[in-house]
Amino acid sequence: MIAYLTNLAALAAIFGILASTLNVAVGYAGIFSVAHAVFFGVGAYAGAQIALVLVPDALLAMLVAGLISGALSLCLALPALRVRGEYFVAASLGLQMMATTLFSEWKSVTGGIGGLTGIPRPHVFGVEVGTLPLALAALGLILLATAALMRGAFGRTLRSIRDAESAAEALGKNVAAAKALAVAFACAGAGVAGALFALHMQFVNVESFNLDQSVLIMAMVIIGGTGTLLGPLVGAVILLSLPAGLAFLPFIPATEVGAVQQMVYGLAMTLLMIFRPAGLVGDLSRGKSMA
Amino acid sequence: MLFVQLLLQGLQVGAIYALTAAGFALIFGATRIFHFAHGSSFALAGYVFIFAMQAGWPWWMGGLAATLTATLFGIGVFWFVYRPIQRHEGSFFTVFVAAFGVGIVVQNLIGMTAGRGFASVDTPLSRAVEVLPDVFLAQVFWVAVGVAAILFAALTLFLTRHNAGVALRALHQNPDLLRAYGLSSTRLSLLAFALGSALAAPAAMVTAMTSGMNEAIGHQVMLISMAATIVGGVGSLRGAALAGLMLGVAESVALNFVDTQWAEAVSFLVLFAFIIFRPSGIFGIAQAR
Repeated sequence: MIAYLTNLAALAAIFGILASTLNVAVGYAGIFSVAHAVFFGVGAYAGAQIALVLVPDALLAMLVAGLISGALSLCLALPALRVRGEYFVAASLGLQMMATTLFSEWKSVTGGIGGLTGIPRPHVFGVEVGTLPLALAALGLILLATAALMRGAFGRTLRSIRDAESAAEALGKNVAAAKALAVAFACAGAGVAGALFALHMQFVNVESFNLDQSVLIMAMVIIGGTGTLLGPLVGAVILLSLPAGLAFLPFIPATEVGAVQQMVYGLAMTLLMIFRPAGLVGDLSRGKSMA
Repeated sequence: MLFVQLLLQGLQVGAIYALTAAGFALIFGATRIFHFAHGSSFALAGYVFIFAMQAGWPWWMGGLAATLTATLFGIGVFWFVYRPIQRHEGSFFTVFVAAFGVGIVVQNLIGMTAGRGFASVDTPLSRAVEVLPDVFLAQVFWVAVGVAAILFAALTLFLTRHNAGVALRALHQNPDLLRAYGLSSTRLSLLAFALGSALAAPAAMVTAMTSGMNEAIGHQVMLISMAATIVGGVGSLRGAALAGLMLGVAESVALNFVDTQWAEAVSFLVLFAFIIFRPSGIFGIAQAR
């Protein structure tokens, strides 16, 4: 039972990182990316390869994963600078679909559909550690960084871009740089989460980095509340405990638990958008004026 | 000869894409709603058709039931999901997330009731015959291409000659002016949803007769329709249909050079390139945003 709870807590921390970094793009900068799982995947493969080929050092794996994902975030920043709204969602969907194909076909690096197995347990400076403290530390650091960044001038610039891009530009804000930075921060965070995920699961394959996963992360942010610090965490915990909770309900046949869970969260997304578009934590006056 | 075979196959797939894309473009163009549950209309119509055929109904009754299902579903989603969101001035993304939720629910409902995996209808139409040396063609090819051409011609006539069609185009250009002239934008939106969703039904029936349906197909169809709409240029039905046809052919012909798994990625590569280099699409007017 303890092991089960530790596992769930570590996953919650990892998905908390994913949701809160996506929130920087979605909630603060108004960049509606549906490709967050791509960078999660890039980080996971990078981290796994480091642990498999070089040393199973968690810090190194997280650093490299964050750097690679952050650099590749250019693929997302480019369309974000060119187009907005529906067009950007479409672009990120396109990126997600291409990446899924790449993940399952580039077998020498990703192991294809079979994935990468036997990833060693994480070490820090030669000492084996559990993933839970690592993930919690990373989550804490990222939340701190987010809070600090968003309270400062950078956060104000981002929010002004989200609410009125032309006005922000007219006031002399460097819109392109701010957007690119926000996307890079979000993607690097996803990369770190990916490395943690690989070290935690000791196995990764493309299933964890497809469109469904991107939408799940998006749902965590939306259900929790965009543009708030706590919202994405709440969303991550709720959506992660959903399958566990449903598994204990006796009247659902075991084979259908996955489908029922999917339906519950699909329904939750739709109903929340109709009745409470700002999410569970977000305040009601916001969310109406977005985009 | 492989090339000709792939080209023909691409045309058949492209005709299906063109129909769904035209429906999506019609809805998006007129109402500015990014109807991400459009693929669900497609999937529902396909499964209703399969069930009807399995129950031994004549094909036209199955087709009617499928079309009715798609139309009602489209209208229902507009009425119960999009309209309440628009009433409190929800952003496009609110609409997108809600529609995605609907798509997930429908996909899993289908998975639970119809079973997972491929389901298809076996008809004499889908039996392939050799028309040229090494080139096989089933009669359903002519059905797909013919139906797409006829429906498209009818739709163009409707949009240019009929009052309601002209009003739909006006809704796209200036909704405020339209209301000032005393026309109901809600009623016209309903019409757009009904027509656009109905267009998905024949495409779904052809798919059910050829490659078959699975519960996740709505997703895939939706993504292709969206890609075609953007590549073709938003607001241009002609563009969406042409782009749909093109994407179908591109996917199929790409098989000549790369493995099957990459075929889908080709469409999205085209989409991605268009968004970066020419966001207004083939026929689109330069976007003001």
